[in-house]
Amino acid sequence: MLGVDVLAALNLVGALIKYLSAAFLFPTAVALGYGESPWPFVIAGVATAAAGFGLEAVTRGKERVGVREGFLVVVLLWLLAAASGALPYLLSGEDQLSNPVDAYFESMSGFTTTGASVLTDFEALNHSLAMWRQFSCWVGGMGIIVLALAVLPRLRVGGRQMFETEAPGPEVERLTVTIRDAARRFLVLYFGITAAETVVLTLLGWTGIDDRMGPYEALAHSFATVATAGFSTQARSFEDFGAATQWTVAVFMVIAGTNFALMYRAILFRRFRLFARDEEYRLYVVLLGLGSAVLLVELWTSDILAGEAAVRHAVFNAVSTMTTTGFASADFNQWTTLTWVTLVALMFFGASAGSTSGSVKVVRHLLVGKILRRELDQAVHPEIVAAVRLNRERVDEAAVRAVTVFILLYIGFFAVGAFALVLDAARVDLAATAFELIAASASTLGNVGPAFGFAGPMGSYEPFPDVSMLIFTALMFVGRIELIPVVVLFTRSYWRV
Amino acid sequence: MKIFVIGAGQVGSAIVEALHDEHELTVFDLDPGRLNYLSHRYDIATVEENGASRRVLREAGVAGANLVIACTSRDETNVIAAIFARGLSPSTKTIVRTTDVEYLEVWRERQLDIDFMVSTELETAHAVSRTIGVPAARQTDVFADGQVQIVEFDVEDGAGRPGVIGLPLREAALPENSKVVAIIRGERIVPPRGTESIQPGDRIVVIGSPVAALAWSELLAPRGQRVRDVVIFGGGPAGTAIAELLLTQGISVRVVEVHRERAEDLAEQLHGARVYHATGFDSDFLERERIGRAHAAVFAMRDDAKNLYAATLARSHGVPFTITIVHEAVSARIFEQAGIDVAINPRHVTAEEIVRFAHDPRTQQVAMLEGDRYEILDITVRPESRLVRTPFRELPMTGSVIGAIVRNGEAIFPHGDSMLEPNDRVIVFTESSRVPQVEKAL
Repeated sequence: MLGVDVLAALNLVGALIKYLSAAFLFPTAVALGYGESPWPFVIAGVATAAAGFGLEAVTRGKERVGVREGFLVVVLLWLLAAASGALPYLLSGEDQLSNPVDAYFESMSGFTTTGASVLTDFEALNHSLAMWRQFSCWVGGMGIIVLALAVLPRLRVGGRQMFETEAPGPEVERLTVTIRDAARRFLVLYFGITAAETVVLTLLGWTGIDDRMGPYEALAHSFATVATAGFSTQARSFEDFGAATQWTVAVFMVIAGTNFALMYRAILFRRFRLFARDEEYRLYVVLLGLGSAVLLVELWTSDILAGEAAVRHAVFNAVSTMTTTGFASADFNQWTTLTWVTLVALMFFGASAGSTSGSVKVVRHLLVGKILRRELDQAVHPEIVAAVRLNRERVDEAAVRAVTVFILLYIGFFAVGAFALVLDAARVDLAATAFELIAASASTLGNVGPAFGFAGPMGSYEPFPDVSMLIFTALMFVGRIELIPVVVLFTRSYWRV
Repeated sequence: MKIFVIGAGQVGSAIVEALHDEHELTVFDLDPGRLNYLSHRYDIATVEENGASRRVLREAGVAGANLVIACTSRDETNVIAAIFARGLSPSTKTIVRTTDVEYLEVWRERQLDIDFMVSTELETAHAVSRTIGVPAARQTDVFADGQVQIVEFDVEDGAGRPGVIGLPLREAALPENSKVVAIIRGERIVPPRGTESIQPGDRIVVIGSPVAALAWSELLAPRGQRVRDVVIFGGGPAGTAIAELLLTQGISVRVVEVHRERAEDLAEQLHGARVYHATGFDSDFLERERIGRAHAAVFAMRDDAKNLYAATLARSHGVPFTITIVHEAVSARIFEQAGIDVAINPRHVTAEEIVRFAHDPRTQQVAMLEGDRYEILDITVRPESRLVRTPFRELPMTGSVIGAIVRNGEAIFPHGDSMLEPNDRVIVFTESSRVPQVEKAL
């Protein structure tokens, strides 16, 4: 007897995926506006809609979709969305993306807001296809916000029930809101931040402060910033943009890495003290500062950069890496070993929970620190009973366990990914060092994007063999949906009654 | 005074014993045995009916009573009895005994129309706090989300840092952001003029910030070594209240609780305390955790015999000062004979506090001099008031004291050059007879 109503899950996946077809309207419009061929998007849209309606029509569940089916829905939805997003790449006839593995990688990288790319020649892309890459990040980020704040907490994944649902400070009543309400609130914020960044960047272009920044670039990069994705329309990311643009984007990356639920409450109640009171937010800012400081000191003392440029590049790249965005303002491949190690360490932090950022996220590090401290305390005082607290509230033991398990799994996936990449690189005699491969595993699992060596900030994942590309695709996917929904599907107890 | 006592248990009996000489008592209880016992010993009237009944109260003549004390062991019964009494006779003062801290909070926020509320647990905690030499503030009222507190302190003999007790108030070094608004000396209220001084045995009323309340408590602590480290055995309601009170005084608190679930709840509830799931009878545990180095230990378990045994064991481990909570009336004497430093009976402490309130001039004056009562007012200043924008030092000296100003949600404690702004909220301590004048002036 199967314990999961697979048909009901498929039915829901169909119902949801058909809405994704609406996402293709935007690149179609861009294509028409620039006089480019809209057909890749029209066909992809129609195919997606047909698949969605078809799936919904042929499947009929016996029961309501519950928590159990939820895992399957989340997993299938992400896999299918990436597949549907890959269609325009294949249909466009663009040589760099004609390999289905590469196209799927690129699409997955967009939808998981990673920002790792196989492209080497950005000039070859037309406006609409380049914009589709950026837009897929934004759609993916939107999906993540809904997933992270409204869906995963209900599935009790990785302790999320504790730190992301409506369990804020003592001043707000503990209401559980419907998924629909939660999603609507946070999407308003998501749209608002995107609009604000687009306006600011456009103004920078208009006023001539940064003459490379047109409305098209402004919108394209805003999509990728808010989603903490890191795709750029430029081959050299933010290197050629002006200082003002880089500072602006750095600020918006910090905003995009903030817990949306916290931001929403602070704005709603006009109490910005909430930020200062939030333990995760405080640690987030401290870590950003610390990472920037290490980079700055190293850049300065190694005579790589000095003055405002040193500060700007240290802050921009630390923020970009820790928020798992993956923009770059300079080619940090040219920097020193200490900066590389610092950046890899930042990849493991990630930004706040309840944002579009990937990786472990600051709150889990915070909790693990507290759990560790409690365990050590108990080693000395066996009778002590202590509660793990977050923002003065007790974290329940189920969430404590879930967080520990999450970190364990995360390290496991990272290690297995890194080993597999090293083996595959040896197989085809790839010119990449073990450190570069390990960093690439951390970068894709954490949805950051760039790594080092040829996959560095100004480089491309193009040289990797297909097997490695599939490993990356899997790491991005698993990292994005917080590991557990995928792992659960491989347990016997999930499928049994 | 004519006083109704509802409930003739340990608390009720202690109250009757203390008040029967001077006052006319009517005692209500459903248990004829208890009433018989009391009426044979003291000259009191008894009513063998439910005191939380409107009919019973009316028939017993509550309209003629000056004070109703509801002190059964059930909170709800007490609250209901007081509410009925207030409904039948608005001028009668009411006292309610409760074990629930939440009722106490609601009352402090003035949401319950009761004159005085006494919590057994909190009284016990205060008694412990006093015994180890840290007099805690009795909070009677809070304003502006707790930013302004009205607190009362007992000034014990030999208490107080130099430079405060016995000196004229205008020369004394008093904590910032606070103001002495009344000194209660015996049966009188002394207005706190600059020439007046605080004497041992007084109870003083202070309006101030929470920080100032703590500073006062430091100030009134007896000289000598301070207790900084206390171990509490037993995490029941009494143990918890003691732990919470001591924590607010900045004392390091360890709680030892034998039940796992209760210990976990405590670990969640008591912020800053160390909670152990262990028993006080485990010599290894006491040794390992260096319990003997604590400055004092409190035994608040439910069973007197266990408290005595654990306290004796703790003494043998070197705890210099032991306080036990006793539940049986006879235990206190035996414990002190057995070498326990202090034994505290929660019911006696509660009764004492109720009796104290009954004797308090602020209560007595209802019956005696109508014009001499004091009230705390919370008023919004009208823009056209004459007092607006006049420095405080130039305001006329009357019997009223402005203790605090609440402006845009923030509490301000005025000094000489402070001024009132239109639409400020002010917390005023004033004689009742002056209430109309104060309201008019503001």
